[in-house]
Amino acid sequence: MALLNRMDWYDLARTTNWSPSYVAEDELFPPKLSGDFGLPQNAWEKYDEPYKQTYPEYVKVQRDKDAGAYSVKAALERSRIFENADPGWKSVMKAHYGAIARGEYAAASAEARMMRFSKAPGMRNMSTLGCLDEIRHGQMQLYFPHEHIAKDRQMDWAFKAYDTNEWAMIAARHFFDDIMMTRDAISVSIMLTFSFETGFTNMQFLGLAADAAEAGDHTFANLISSIQTDESRHAQIGGPALKVLIENGHKAEAQKRVDIAVWGAWKLFSVLTGPIMDYYTPLEHRKQSFKEFMEEWIVAQFERALTDMGLDLPWYWDIFLNDLSQTHHGMHLGAYYWRPTLWWNPAAGVTPDERAWLEEKYPGWNDTWGQCWDVFIDNVVDGNMAKAYPETLPYVCNMCQLPILGTPGKGWNVRDYPLEYNGRLYHFGSEVDRWVFQQEPERYAGHLSIVDRFLAGMIQPMDLGGALQYMGLAPGEIGDDAHNYAWAETYRAMRAEKKAS
Amino acid sequence: MALFPLTSNFEGDFVLQLVAVDSENTMDEVAAAAAVHSVGRRVRARPDCIMRVRRQDATEFLPRTMKVSESGLKPTETVEIIWEPARH
Repeated sequence: MALLNRMDWYDLARTTNWSPSYVAEDELFPPKLSGDFGLPQNAWEKYDEPYKQTYPEYVKVQRDKDAGAYSVKAALERSRIFENADPGWKSVMKAHYGAIARGEYAAASAEARMMRFSKAPGMRNMSTLGCLDEIRHGQMQLYFPHEHIAKDRQMDWAFKAYDTNEWAMIAARHFFDDIMMTRDAISVSIMLTFSFETGFTNMQFLGLAADAAEAGDHTFANLISSIQTDESRHAQIGGPALKVLIENGHKAEAQKRVDIAVWGAWKLFSVLTGPIMDYYTPLEHRKQSFKEFMEEWIVAQFERALTDMGLDLPWYWDIFLNDLSQTHHGMHLGAYYWRPTLWWNPAAGVTPDERAWLEEKYPGWNDTWGQCWDVFIDNVVDGNMAKAYPETLPYVCNMCQLPILGTPGKGWNVRDYPLEYNGRLYHFGSEVDRWVFQQEPERYAGHLSIVDRFLAGMIQPMDLGGALQYMGLAPGEIGDDAHNYAWAETYRAMRAEKKAS
Repeated sequence: MALFPLTSNFEGDFVLQLVAVDSENTMDEVAAAAAVHSVGRRVRARPDCIMRVRRQDATEFLPRTMKVSESGLKPTETVEIIWEPARH
């Protein structure tokens, strides 16, 4: 039997809106869940998805993708890549799996909200496929690390992290709860798919795939490339929704959602992806600096996506561009200094060669972050390890839940962005984090940061041991230097040489 | 006498940190408590300087002998710890 071409029947087949007669439209599509912005069904029927795929096509393509990724894994299982990999690279995998795998699984329910409650039939079809994508991503990114658990207990955090009160996970959950778990269908399409996925997942998945291939980890490179092909499809769910909103006079609401989500995504990437690219990935395997990746994927490409859509650049764009050279250096130093609170072993990434690379990519690094690292390195070289670990908590932002930081040393510009609301003093890491809070204070006001919880007596005993227990970090999982400080030998040798001369 | 949390923003360091002091501590004692978590860890000691405390955005330092309870500081408020050249 001859089959019709897809485009001869696709539009008709997915025109699944009807006029309800037994219930009111608002009962079929409760506004709080559908996020219809007061627009009736027929306005949303103009939603035109740029990437059209039918279910049979989807199944065929996905089957091939799975077969590809799983067969590479099977072929390389005996290759001992994990055993032989640089410890910095293992940390990349651990951080990635823990932060991402269960979040992807949670994203399936956000996609399911668009699938059921969007008034746009095209969005419902695209997000049906998107929901299946996210289940696949959750499953793969749990299955792939599983083979390593017997070798390394930190790999168990691929599954475990999302349920813990580890500080980075609190930050990740706070962000994803805000943009995808507690928003209506249309806001999810704008905040999760357009802002986060179009804008940022390319960074994590394409940038990291390039680094993985360079590092010889073809299993990981194939896995995340396979995932990204799905992301690049379902990331397009939000664009046509933005078009409908703008055409119907709702640009300001759309813009605000984009501005909130892009900032949160940036902060999360500054702590997860920034250190991975500029410090953990072995120097010889780095393709580009984090800033160069950001400038290519976010500044050049996402900026165009925004303006093509008829949106403005977020009001804080100048702040963001400036922070591209700064924030992630602080996030790395913070995560590293408080390394017992991580489920991976961070690589310091500050050998003389690595510092020369940092100075080249970020002129002034040695006079700023380098000054803090100088003191740290002296302590390690002197064996003064008591000073190389923290004895208090960093103050974290009440929006992004990440440490409040700035540039140290000769460029010292660290500051708090405080706000009193209903008698409580909140602290924010930037003007933008505070602005997000002010857009809808009641949405965020009740949340307790890890520091708030500590001060409320929820972490007992009130010391590092109590904090680690609260974060779910068991012995064998607690982070420390990826290379067991072997990099400090270079500095010892330099000091000895200086002394001898 | 009561435990009093403050947020330390130490000159030259990169991050705000929680510092527990006592409401009867002087500003010099606040500076010393904050220094424990920055100096010799990520900030070099400066023997030629003393450490002064000021509110964020303030130009004047709080008097060295002023107690936390007299300062009007709120719990968790951010204070800047600034190196001041010692007078000889």
